[in-house]
Amino acid sequence: MELETRREEGTLIAKAQSRVDGANAREFQEALEAAIDTSDRALLLDLEQLSYISSAGLRVILLTAKTLGKQDAKLAVCSLSDPIREIFEVSGFDKIIPIHPSPTEALAALKS
Amino acid sequence: MSATLSLKVETSHDELDRITAAVEDFGEQESWSPALIFRVNLVLEELGLNVMDYGYDDGLHEFEIVLTSNPDALTIEIIDDGRPFDPLSDTPPPVLEGSIEERPVGGLGVHLVRELMDELHYRREQGRNHLTLVTRKME
Repeated sequence: MELETRREEGTLIAKAQSRVDGANAREFQEALEAAIDTSDRALLLDLEQLSYISSAGLRVILLTAKTLGKQDAKLAVCSLSDPIREIFEVSGFDKIIPIHPSPTEALAALKS
Repeated sequence: MSATLSLKVETSHDELDRITAAVEDFGEQESWSPALIFRVNLVLEELGLNVMDYGYDDGLHEFEIVLTSNPDALTIEIIDDGRPFDPLSDTPPPVLEGSIEERPVGGLGVHLVRELMDELHYRREQGRNHLTLVTRKME
């Protein structure tokens, strides 16, 4: 699981690639855990290049949100394809994790 | 005209990639939308993993997946000879409310399947679990 990351003013931006399913969800979780620093104030998951996610991937996203909450940091996601947005909505994740159309809008919202 | 894809799958997580590839090939051949291919893969992963992880006590077993594609509907059948299990009634309802701290981790798989499919039927017949799912949302 490749995770491309960069930081912008205390926000860690991570780009998920390809698929997160039952076969590689653990790798996704380990990559996120390795990338998050205790000094990060927010994590933005850019899902533009993610083509597939199942409940195994949602599980990792919720776990990550819980971990970030403990260090008083926020989680947001951006650039979801229609099927992935549907999965977020059906799971009620859209009520606990802000969804933004683009990284620019997400970063602006995280700063405010 | 209907077309059928029949797959024999082993109870090993390594099979997920093979299922995905077979669904993509079949979906392209049947001119499915990417969204439909996504939904079919999701349903097969969620229900397939249930069979792989909880269907048998030990050892490697084989179960069957059959997809029947019509212009106006797609039927998914999953048939296994594992322990009797009806995911439609034997699975607790999901928790979709509450804060990040309050949400339990996991338990969304069968819920996603229910939401993405129009019909779900379970029957136990001759020592086998038969799950039949239908979607009419072909776009």
